[in-house]
Amino acid sequence: MSNLLQEIEAQIAGVKTSVTKQNVGAVREIGDGVAKIEGLTDAMLNEMLDFGNGVTGLALNLEETEVGAIILGDYTSVKEGQEVRTTGRLLQVPVGKGLLGRVVNTLGQPVDGKGPVKNETSYPVEKIAPGIIRRRSVSQPVQTGIMAIDAMIPIGRGQRELIIGDRSTGKTTIGIDTIISNARLNKAAEAAGDKEYRPLYSIYVGVGQKQSNIARVINVLEEAGAMPYTIVVVASASDSATNQYLAPFAGCAMGEWFMDNGMDALIIFDDLSKHAVAYRQVSLVLKRPSGREAYPGDVFYLHSRLLERSARLNEKYGNGSLTALPIIETQLGDVSAYIPTNVISITDGQIYLETDLFYQGVRPAISVGLSVSRVGSAAQIKAMKQVAGRIKLDLAQFRELAAFAQFGSDLDAATQAKIERGKRIVEVFKQPQYNPISVEAQAAILWTAQNGYFDDVAVEKIKDCQNKLTEYLTTRKSALMAKLAKEKALSDALTAELKAAVTEFKQTYK
Amino acid sequence: MKITKQARRDAKQLFRSCLVNGLLDENRVRQVVQQVIAQKPRGYLAILSHFQRLVRLDVARRTAGIESAIQLPENLRTGVQTNLARRYGPGLNVSFAQNPDLIGGLRVQVGSDVYDGSIRARLAALAEGF
Ligand SMILES: Nc1ncnc2c1ncn2[C@@H]1O[C@H](COP(=O)(O)OP(=O)(O)OP(=O)(O)O)[C@@H](O)[C@H]1O
Ligand SMILES: [Mg+2]
Repeated sequence: MSNLLQEIEAQIAGVKTSVTKQNVGAVREIGDGVAKIEGLTDAMLNEMLDFGNGVTGLALNLEETEVGAIILGDYTSVKEGQEVRTTGRLLQVPVGKGLLGRVVNTLGQPVDGKGPVKNETSYPVEKIAPGIIRRRSVSQPVQTGIMAIDAMIPIGRGQRELIIGDRSTGKTTIGIDTIISNARLNKAAEAAGDKEYRPLYSIYVGVGQKQSNIARVINVLEEAGAMPYTIVVVASASDSATNQYLAPFAGCAMGEWFMDNGMDALIIFDDLSKHAVAYRQVSLVLKRPSGREAYPGDVFYLHSRLLERSARLNEKYGNGSLTALPIIETQLGDVSAYIPTNVISITDGQIYLETDLFYQGVRPAISVGLSVSRVGSAAQIKAMKQVAGRIKLDLAQFRELAAFAQFGSDLDAATQAKIERGKRIVEVFKQPQYNPISVEAQAAILWTAQNGYFDDVAVEKIKDCQNKLTEYLTTRKSALMAKLAKEKALSDALTAELKAAVTEFKQTYK
Repeated sequence: MKITKQARRDAKQLFRSCLVNGLLDENRVRQVVQQVIAQKPRGYLAILSHFQRLVRLDVARRTAGIESAIQLPENLRTGVQTNLARRYGPGLNVSFAQNPDLIGGLRVQVGSDVYDGSIRARLAALAEGF
């Protein structure tokens, strides 16, 4: 239908010879990628402005006598006194499946040298988030493949879960692992011809990152075969602040297309601290008044309107979803700084990564006590709930007891047992990067740990034992694992079967 | 020169006092400038420069520039003038100019609105279409 309308419009435009009204202005001042324009009395907020020669700007400040616009792209060719005209359009980016497997910039232009992007539709980068009527609560899981997260801080489709931590604590890695895990699940479902499985497409938005970091991410995704299900949007540190400020919104528009068309998408904003800095720069050169830490007053609104756009739509509106994993970098673990507190309050929970844990070798360095997921447990599969229900509490207890045990040596047997069990669970949750574990394997391993089958294995051999058990289960007991994956719950019969398999394995394991 | 908020506000107030029935009164503008220079209130230079800007923008808003490739006959001129007056209200300063670069047709600019029906503009649009 919309095609028909466009066609008619184009035909009418073709025969129209009458003169159309244009609104023009003149550049009064230009610098730092910001132009002050006199005239332009009809300009709208966030409208694209045409500076001629293919240079476009975005009207951000509408004042009494002038318009403040940020220039997208190269602003060195813009001269004082130059004519500027309104276009009547909002900033748009291409959206659709044609973008999968591509690396694009903020405007959706390819930067991977693989030719033009094939797309039929465009979406405005700024859009109002879906309202309450269109939404429903989160009920389907996003399998990150990271055992600690899937078991204790489960994420559901449509959720916004913050990944927060100091520099170099493995924040990006968690995002990448999630993309890889879901790409594998998509591929497996495709190969099996599973029509019921809802594939999860990923969008990675790199804001203010070093080019080398982004190149590394793309490399990892390519090697893992995840690129066919992924869009990478880059606005690296060398891009203008304007492009960095707009990149998450552009990525979000691409994700929204999947959601609006009844599909599921995941978006990773890496990271919103740098995004806030870019926005601060844009605001300061636009001479907007600054507030706390020199951020403009609307930096909260900036992030809330971005993250509100991820949602789970109800069946009537196509049942699609957009899950957001924003990343925030803290300074020396200070979560009470301005931007971290803002984003913590907007999201549905956070995964807190700790430097101390990271250097103790607990990787992923997730601090279980400080991490929560406020809505995800509704999306956890039953088997996982059965085995992981008490694990968070156990771990928290273990931490407390372990700290206490440092002072005294004679502990009663029950406490001793708790500490020993805790040590093994910590060990079980350690996981190398780019190595997602399927949810049925996670459930089986956790069941084994919870039921004390690891208690007689030395702590330093736990990882080895766990890997061998996983291998044993996936190769020798693949029927059992398939059943577990299908039923998604540990029935009595399945538990008995699992018990037999684990006992058998333990006999052979030295 | 830094123009403070206060200076901006003062200039705006002075500018408002120069309006008669929504139109700028030239005599009042002259008077205001003379008075301000005579009294030299705090930051008067900043006030005057912002005042000048407001007046300039207002004049631009009320000025219609009509360009044509050739000299327009009298009846066409009055026709355009009455049409513009109908659309933008009275008090419009209309000026006519000749610009052979247009090749043909008219280009009318009122404030920041431009109606470009010249052949040059159509050629440019055509060139962009390719
Ligand atoms: N689970 C893991 N096991 C082993 N090494 C890991 C793990 N997770 C991350 N690392 C390593 O830690 C380093 C930092 O990881 P990453 O780049 O993900 O951190 P970051 O918090 O995103 O860093 P930055 O602050 O630079 O963005 C990398 O060299 C990565 O290889
Ligand atoms: Mg990172």
